[in-house]
Amino acid sequence: MKKFLGLLASVVLVISMLAGCVSQESATGGSKGKKEGSGNDKIKIAVVPKLIGIPYFNASEKGVIEAGKELGVDVIYTGPTEADAAQQVKVIEDLISQNVDVIAVAPNDAASLTPVLKKAKDKGIIVMDWDTPADQSLVELSVHQIDDEAYGRHIAKSLIEKMGAEEGEIAILTGGLSAANLNTWIDAAKKELAEKYPGIKLVTDKIATDEKQQVAYQKTLDLVKSYPNLKGIMAFSTPAPLGAAQAIQEKGLQDKIAVVGTALPTDSAPYLEDGSLDVAILWEPDKLGFLTVALAKALAEGKKPENGQDIAKVGKIELWEDGKTVIMGPPTDFTKENAKDFNF
Amino acid sequence: MKAVSFSKESILGLIALIVFILMSLFIPGFFEQNNLNNMMFQLPEFGLLALAMMIVIVTGGIDLSITYIAAMSGVAIALMQSHGYPMLTAIIVGIIVGLACGLINGTIISKIGVSPILVTLGTMVLFEGVILSITKGSSISGFSESYSLIGNGYYMGIVPLSIIIFIFFAILTGVLLAKTKWGRSVYMIGSNPVATLFSGVNNSRVLMRVYLYAAMLAAIASIIMTSRYNSAKVDLGSSYLLQSVSAAVLGGTEIQGGYGKVIGTIYAVIIFQMLSSGLNLMGVSRPIVNVMMGVILITVLVLNFVKGKIEEKNQKTAAA
Repeated sequence: MKKFLGLLASVVLVISMLAGCVSQESATGGSKGKKEGSGNDKIKIAVVPKLIGIPYFNASEKGVIEAGKELGVDVIYTGPTEADAAQQVKVIEDLISQNVDVIAVAPNDAASLTPVLKKAKDKGIIVMDWDTPADQSLVELSVHQIDDEAYGRHIAKSLIEKMGAEEGEIAILTGGLSAANLNTWIDAAKKELAEKYPGIKLVTDKIATDEKQQVAYQKTLDLVKSYPNLKGIMAFSTPAPLGAAQAIQEKGLQDKIAVVGTALPTDSAPYLEDGSLDVAILWEPDKLGFLTVALAKALAEGKKPENGQDIAKVGKIELWEDGKTVIMGPPTDFTKENAKDFNF
Repeated sequence: MKAVSFSKESILGLIALIVFILMSLFIPGFFEQNNLNNMMFQLPEFGLLALAMMIVIVTGGIDLSITYIAAMSGVAIALMQSHGYPMLTAIIVGIIVGLACGLINGTIISKIGVSPILVTLGTMVLFEGVILSITKGSSISGFSESYSLIGNGYYMGIVPLSIIIFIFFAILTGVLLAKTKWGRSVYMIGSNPVATLFSGVNNSRVLMRVYLYAAMLAAIASIIMTSRYNSAKVDLGSSYLLQSVSAAVLGGTEIQGGYGKVIGTIYAVIIFQMLSSGLNLMGVSRPIVNVMMGVILITVLVLNFVKGKIEEKNQKTAAA
């Protein structure tokens, strides 16, 4: 036994030493080009969200499934159960083994997906991203829900509208200080204010709420106390508007302070009802899912989208000059009147 | 009654084999080059963390900070490489950072004697905080081409390099546990620390080495992960934490310590890997995969427990 183990250990040692010199040999050479039909000829499209089981991505799943039925393609909607990049890579690797035609992914961490997306591309799979951009050198298409710049400006404009005045003190709440998409929106909103409404004064730097409603609630209470003349709050990230509205509701300041933010309609309905939240502005995730599948199908058939193309159920889309970035359309305003019509 | 049928490990090995055969037969695409390669690429990082966890559990402890140790050394490697240091230096620094984390755990547990679950819970939060303050939550990238071969390259064009690294460390761990004085002390401490101390073993030194060794395995896992995912981040591989405990326990390791084998843990890791890949290939939704893994884990543990009880009873009746 001892001899055997010794032998085994030395064999491994030798192998591992050899590995040191020959490891440059990459790629199996066994990539068999295109897959061979695999039974039926239906196009197989895989849509991978950041994680599954949260309201936002459940809503987009509905759109994906619906599109699969209507457009006659096989869709797979699968993702990690935690927002862990390692898990997401595994999901994609397993999808590659399933010989899908298109993979559309919303990366948790764009850099960590680069190697596996490269692998997918080498196997002849069409790679695109949706919701959040991946490595742009690898994707054929990048489906965005909104034009970030226009979105930020729209939120700022809505706030001014709801305040009913073009001057006064306002504050900005955000999910996290380092969240790239939130920062883009906030910068755009600030630009809009600086350019068109010089009378608006930002009382303090953007305030981080850790993507938590409870924190947003607490911070809003502090804000209201420290700045009695505060007239408006812009809240970015989906929990932040809810927390802010909760504080406003509790203090009975509905008529004095306007709150606008980026929240899902079902969550915000109770606050929209009494005006503690004036308007929630977001896109419709189910439409985004639908659009992703529709564009994926077109790509698999060799068709590129066009600027201004009308997609059934979604509307006119916008294609940027790079030929990759697709914008779904303008954001949707969820108000007291229409919030009940949505089920996400 | 004497010829005790099979050990826990060989039963588990048999289960692994059966699962493999069934899946190859019934799941299209499972027994294909691409999927087999996938599994070999996915297994090493998880396997190394499970082995590290197994050793710690054998001493009756647990290491909750293990994935953050991995993330910590991953971030160190990423930082070194993105600042232009050569690959080898970066890797060595990464391992040293990992060992330093293990040293903190080891010192507090072995020298001061605080219970491992509390210490590693604390260091888990500590390491997470340190990484967050360094990276501000974003991921660090910028590895060299050759570095990415560690996790993505093939040896001789057939076998993934990472699985060879894993096999090497699995054998090393097996030999260390079974053939060295240190290995025997590890088992002894796990079953009865007081008796071990009085039989002349330096408990604290043995424990210190256990946590250092676990940290080193975590650092190796982190090298494979960062190379595979081309980035380092605070929650890199965080989902492996509880999975590695599950794999160790499924592999027959006694959660109170004193028993546990490398081969059992490896079988368990292989079973987990096959289930995850196989069920994904079938298109079973992820939450259901989790449910099935949970059910399997509980079933095996209950079976082991019942089997242990029956054997105990038999021994008692035999003695009486």
